[in-house]
Amino acid sequence: MSQELILSRDAYLLTVEVRLFWLVALVYAFSALVLLFHILTRRVGIGRAAQGMMWAGMILHLGWIALRIFEGGRAPFQTLYESLSWFACTAVLTYLVVSRKWRDIYLPATFVAALSSGACFYALLSRSPAVPPLSPPLQSYWFEWHVVLAFFSYAVFVVSSSIEVTYLIVKPFLNRGADEVFGLTRSNIREFRGTAFNLVLFGFPLLTFAIFSGAAWANEAWGRYWSWDPKETWSLITWSVFTMYLHAMSIPKWRGNVASALNILGFVCMMMTFLGVNWLAKLLGIPSLHLYAV
Amino acid sequence: MAGSNRFLSLLYRKLSSLRTSVYVLGVLCIFYVIGTIFPQGGDINEYEKAGGRFLEAVRLFNLLDVFNTPWFLVPAFVLFLNVSVCTYDRFLRIRARRGAAPAAYSPDCTVHLALTRAEAEEEVSRILTRKMRFKVLRTGTDWTVMEKGLSYRWLTWLYHAGIAISFVGFFISGLFVREGIITLRPGEEVEIVSTMPENRGWLVPSDHSPPGFKLVLDEFITEYTESPRLDYPKDKRSRVAIALGWKDLSYRLDEDSFFPKDWFSRLRVVRDGSTLYEKKIEVNDPLRFEGYTFYQLAYEQRLKLRVGERLVEAEAGKKVDIPSIGTLRFGPLRTGTLFRLDGTTDKITPFVTVKRLSGGKTEELGRLVLNGHIRVGKSKLSLVDFEESSVLSYRYDPGVPILWVAGSIVFAVMTLRCFGRWYELAYRVEERDGTTSLLISIRSKGLGADPARVIRRLSHHLPGVRS
Ligand code: HEM
Repeated sequence: MSQELILSRDAYLLTVEVRLFWLVALVYAFSALVLLFHILTRRVGIGRAAQGMMWAGMILHLGWIALRIFEGGRAPFQTLYESLSWFACTAVLTYLVVSRKWRDIYLPATFVAALSSGACFYALLSRSPAVPPLSPPLQSYWFEWHVVLAFFSYAVFVVSSSIEVTYLIVKPFLNRGADEVFGLTRSNIREFRGTAFNLVLFGFPLLTFAIFSGAAWANEAWGRYWSWDPKETWSLITWSVFTMYLHAMSIPKWRGNVASALNILGFVCMMMTFLGVNWLAKLLGIPSLHLYAV
Repeated sequence: MAGSNRFLSLLYRKLSSLRTSVYVLGVLCIFYVIGTIFPQGGDINEYEKAGGRFLEAVRLFNLLDVFNTPWFLVPAFVLFLNVSVCTYDRFLRIRARRGAAPAAYSPDCTVHLALTRAEAEEEVSRILTRKMRFKVLRTGTDWTVMEKGLSYRWLTWLYHAGIAISFVGFFISGLFVREGIITLRPGEEVEIVSTMPENRGWLVPSDHSPPGFKLVLDEFITEYTESPRLDYPKDKRSRVAIALGWKDLSYRLDEDSFFPKDWFSRLRVVRDGSTLYEKKIEVNDPLRFEGYTFYQLAYEQRLKLRVGERLVEAEAGKKVDIPSIGTLRFGPLRTGTLFRLDGTTDKITPFVTVKRLSGGKTEELGRLVLNGHIRVGKSKLSLVDFEESSVLSYRYDPGVPILWVAGSIVFAVMTLRCFGRWYELAYRVEERDGTTSLLISIRSKGLGADPARVIRRLSHHLPGVRS
């Protein structure tokens, strides 16, 4: 194939792919809006319809991923554009799989759908969709495993914190005597919250492997398994906070609000690791000295 | 004496406590956050020049190197002590538990059976051990206790022990590591000595004997792929226009659409004139020899230029002031092999792109090819030669093997603990008013565990179950 033909084929594929991604983002955003409507009306049917939309969005999203793999000839999580999309897709997928255990409880879906559509819009509006070649440091077998499992753990933590937030919202109403709030009752709320713990238990070894493989990769590529760059350090903070959460769940007095706060803090730290590593420094007006311009 | 014993036992209690670990991890997180705010490894004067804030605190607490300060190292050491003491303490507890008498169990469910007590006891034991593969832990008293799956207590213990060993690896790294950076031109050699200025490691003696070998760079190779540029608008409205189908995307190939695909150094290890080892290294594939590892870090390119009759040297990718021409900015030098989009490969005629910077404006001057020239105003600028050097880093780190082993243990065992399944089932058969009842208490750990299913299976296998 001639060079011109290759360029126009790639541009056409990319145009289709970008439009499909917009569609996915809109479907997620629309399901988040419908979920808000469910919160206002408390009608189960509306929640069910919104969850159906999330399924549809996720299937389209899987199609988008297949297209991107075809375009780039590699797994799609090298650029921030790709990883934001991957993050959104895995979060929705994990939520939909986990939610099968919880019939007619749609509150956590609002959080997941809003976050996922936010991630997709952020990718579309502020990042370039170009498919760059793989730079030499990324050409490592550690890289793919590192990223796949890191993002899988992120998805699991998103769903866990959505459950934890739901629990914190609903619990006071149940304590005050309500029989049922958004599908949760006094008899099922404990088990519901147990799912948040199980999800962290699931995500924790994945995050451990992500950190371990990141260090092994750095050791192979640059000869230093740990250099305290902000991304590494934030992943260590996230790992430490989830360790604190798991430990707090083993301490009877801390199993309640302390553990809930730690689970949500873990989610915040995870988002910092993903997107906000230099945000605090910028907020405080601290220069980066170009040393770790991430 | 009693006072110091009391202090020691208090210290032991605190260091084996789970709460301590939460507090210490919390304190460490505060330092980690500080480490992400202030540029680590930065120079305080540069920091001040760049308008850095909180200067007094940065100076006083050494916040540009916070991970080497006592404020950080002390809590890190306390966490190490905490994990170690906790691991030791749990070892004693788990062992003591093994032979302990059964505690009182509160039944989670009761099954009524149409069997005599003796028949029920025999049948339950047979089903649990033969059909459901439970192992007997304790018997002969009120409750019979059985276990199935990998003991979560030992698994938890083992990966905590792995974490303690990882700390040992970190300490050994911190104490004994040696590292440095070498820049070599093809054909050059360098004696590896251990007292390079970049050396770190708190315990590396200054007269540490050198490893006694030389490293020779035989060849340095670069490869590029053709990487088209995407015309993608920066403003958000145009991006929405693309989504709505009002605009399409397009790719174009520029003057310098080259993307570094890979770079390699062909290295040789020489001792007393004879070659001991050879390897072509690249990023992610270093050379290892006698505990030392040599990594492909980067490369440097120097350009030899002629302006009129004068020879000028410049670094590729940098700005240079040339009298009679002004300020020029050279792009990276492209040389080696080019992998084209259509699958063909080409030998690149070495070239560099040139721009002239004047009065805040940038003027594209085009490609300057080896042995070719371009006109800049009235002057003729030629590229007469170039020189590439390979930048290698090396490291000697005896902590790494320990970390490999400990890290693998932590990950593998933690995975087994979290994803696996473990059950502890205690049962008792009672006979009251002619009715035989089976009281079951079940505990489980791990995401793979499903205690309700165990009870369902047990009830299914038991003959004569009455609800
Ligand atoms: C960086 C250090 C640490 C990490 C990553 C870590 C990790 C974990 C994780 C993931 C769990 C929950 C899963 C399980 O129950 O097996 C756990 C539980 C536990 N950890 Fe840690 N831990 C650390 C340090 C410590 C320390 C210092 C102690 C000492 C007190 C400790 C004692 C325990 C105990 C007693 C449990 C509960 C186990 C049970 O349920 O019986 N851990 N730890």
